[in-house]
Amino acid sequence: MTTTDTAASDSTTSSFEEVVTSTDPFVMSRIWGFGGMALVSLGSIAGFLVGLERLDLSSANVFSSADQVFQFWSAHRVVMVLLGVLPALMGIITTVVPRQCGGSLVFPRAAALACWTWVIGAGITVVGFLVDGGLGTPGSGGQRQATALTLVGLLLVIGGLLLVSICVMTTIVSGRSTGLGLRDLPFAAWTTLVAATVWTAMLPVLAANAVLAYVDLRGRTAVRFGVEDAIWEQLSWMFTHPAVYVLALPVLGIALDVLSRSTETDQRNRDVLLVATAAFGFLSFGVFAQPFFDTPGTPIREEALSVLAAFAIVPVGLVVLGGVVDTLRRGASNLGSKPPPEVVLSILAVLLVVAGTLVGALHVIAPLDLLDTSVTGSQFMLVVGATLLGVGAGFHHWGDEIVGPGARPGLVLLGGLAVALGVALNGITDLISGLLGQTDFTGASLAVAGYPGSGVEALNFVSVVGSLALVGGLGIWMVAGILHITAAKNGSVA
Amino acid sequence: MASNVPAVPTRPRTLVVASAFGTGSVVMYFGGLFALYFSVRADAMAWGAGWFPEGAVQLVPGGMNMATMAMSVITMAWAVHSVLHDDRVHAMLAMALTGILGVAMVNQTVFAFMDIGLPIDTSEAATLMFTIVGSHLVMVVAGVVWLGMLLLRTLGGQDTRRHRDLVSAAALYWYASVAVYSVIWIGIYIAK
Repeated sequence: MTTTDTAASDSTTSSFEEVVTSTDPFVMSRIWGFGGMALVSLGSIAGFLVGLERLDLSSANVFSSADQVFQFWSAHRVVMVLLGVLPALMGIITTVVPRQCGGSLVFPRAAALACWTWVIGAGITVVGFLVDGGLGTPGSGGQRQATALTLVGLLLVIGGLLLVSICVMTTIVSGRSTGLGLRDLPFAAWTTLVAATVWTAMLPVLAANAVLAYVDLRGRTAVRFGVEDAIWEQLSWMFTHPAVYVLALPVLGIALDVLSRSTETDQRNRDVLLVATAAFGFLSFGVFAQPFFDTPGTPIREEALSVLAAFAIVPVGLVVLGGVVDTLRRGASNLGSKPPPEVVLSILAVLLVVAGTLVGALHVIAPLDLLDTSVTGSQFMLVVGATLLGVGAGFHHWGDEIVGPGARPGLVLLGGLAVALGVALNGITDLISGLLGQTDFTGASLAVAGYPGSGVEALNFVSVVGSLALVGGLGIWMVAGILHITAAKNGSVA
Repeated sequence: MASNVPAVPTRPRTLVVASAFGTGSVVMYFGGLFALYFSVRADAMAWGAGWFPEGAVQLVPGGMNMATMAMSVITMAWAVHSVLHDDRVHAMLAMALTGILGVAMVNQTVFAFMDIGLPIDTSEAATLMFTIVGSHLVMVVAGVVWLGMLLLRTLGGQDTRRHRDLVSAAALYWYASVAVYSVIWIGIYIAK
């Protein structure tokens, strides 16, 4: 008689092990979504602390030095975009878009690799910022090794985002069901294809900037690119006009789909909207707008190309808004007395995008001299805030498909309204402060803050209230998400 | 007698499409670096500051590498052609040769790096050159690893006319690496 060892039962697999080894896009979607939203909250808290610091422009009160203020100020932008909003968008895109294309996500293992690469990279980036690193400091008061660590983390984040973008684009181009042409795609899938194309063109250039800074920074006296006060300037183009607009592009598609389905109304002038959203993506291609590499005497942000792009995107945004208004006009009666939260959030998102493009156009008018003022921050907040609202609308709209039943519409709406309020307060106050002369990065002295006109103290206080509303709204969304997942899990067990 | 079975719809080749997107990203990475290189170089030249010191960057290593990469284009095309015609022996031979040429290029570049009298922290020009050439080195190493795995698949009989997408995808990436090197050769080694 022989004795044979038997393999351990699969039932001993822990839920952690299941998550880590999973290639299920729906599991990955939760990691992208929750991770992204958690990091957006972290970025918002950094923004709130910088806002508190701005209450007294003459000295550093919350932080110990101008360099620390700068680290948190730049962390706010980087974390919001690359670690927060974009990954949260991936949470929707990787699950909803393949279904819209009639198939499943191609290369699920690559998508899982992308997700974990992003998680590890985001962790390293956050640690880099917290250990006195970040993306350089104006006074060279940071730790060089920690700055190098931040750059490594950022490169991993970019790698993860690029890989998942390629998976999604390939799914749309090659994995969609037979007979479904590109013109027939739902708007979310179409705008994702356009946006992902722009991301795969822009993120590698950002990576090139980061690699160059890293190579110059490591182990010896930096020549130029890795000098502490030069790193942010090389990477900042990703977080301003026109590159920042590409964040909002999938949100326009999400809004159009959500409104069309909620109002049970077909979108009219479909081809016009397809062209408009493609043009929006084209005009968002911002790798050329790198002020660090300006030829002396010809600043790129004042060049015709940059100015033209800023103005051209306004009518494009208005065309999309026109499509939204038309759908609402024809289908509003189907919404009932209480419109669903995703409809409210989608409308607010599109309005904020249009507001962002208007501020962007205002910002490049040369006689106003607003390029280095807090108008830049205003535009950033409006566009990123619009993206956040779109993500919230998308997660709620497709939440039952991604997570299961158990959504909390009241909480989602409450959180969304708080986010919208916060973004609007931030955007409007920064716009007015910028017109009064307040610089984008105010530092810890009046000279760095640009000796702004009277009234900015009150505006900065209102901005802090807005930041608080934003953090609160995000907190409510996180609670709503956790309750949704718990309800879905309990429902499936029952 | 004509068959009544409907024709199978032609589907885009998923691996090749993904490789095209991935390769496009890599090309954009180098596009970014080249744009910075030529922009900074043009500014330096305009101010009369000069770029590389006289004789610091030799044409021979760059020229040898270019010739090696150009030969690898032919062997890579040979591999694709062989797989397309189910010629396994020639496919393996062509892939192995392409890989060897890639390794030779890596060897030559590393030798040139060790030999060059231009430390990386000398100037902006040196930093940019090392970053660009070093990044391309990584690209070639990745291509060689990919080719090695393809060779193993071919040894196992998995790369056939019906399943040739991975070879086409690798070829696309390899051709891009040669194209990128040709810009390095002209822009850095010849124009200096």
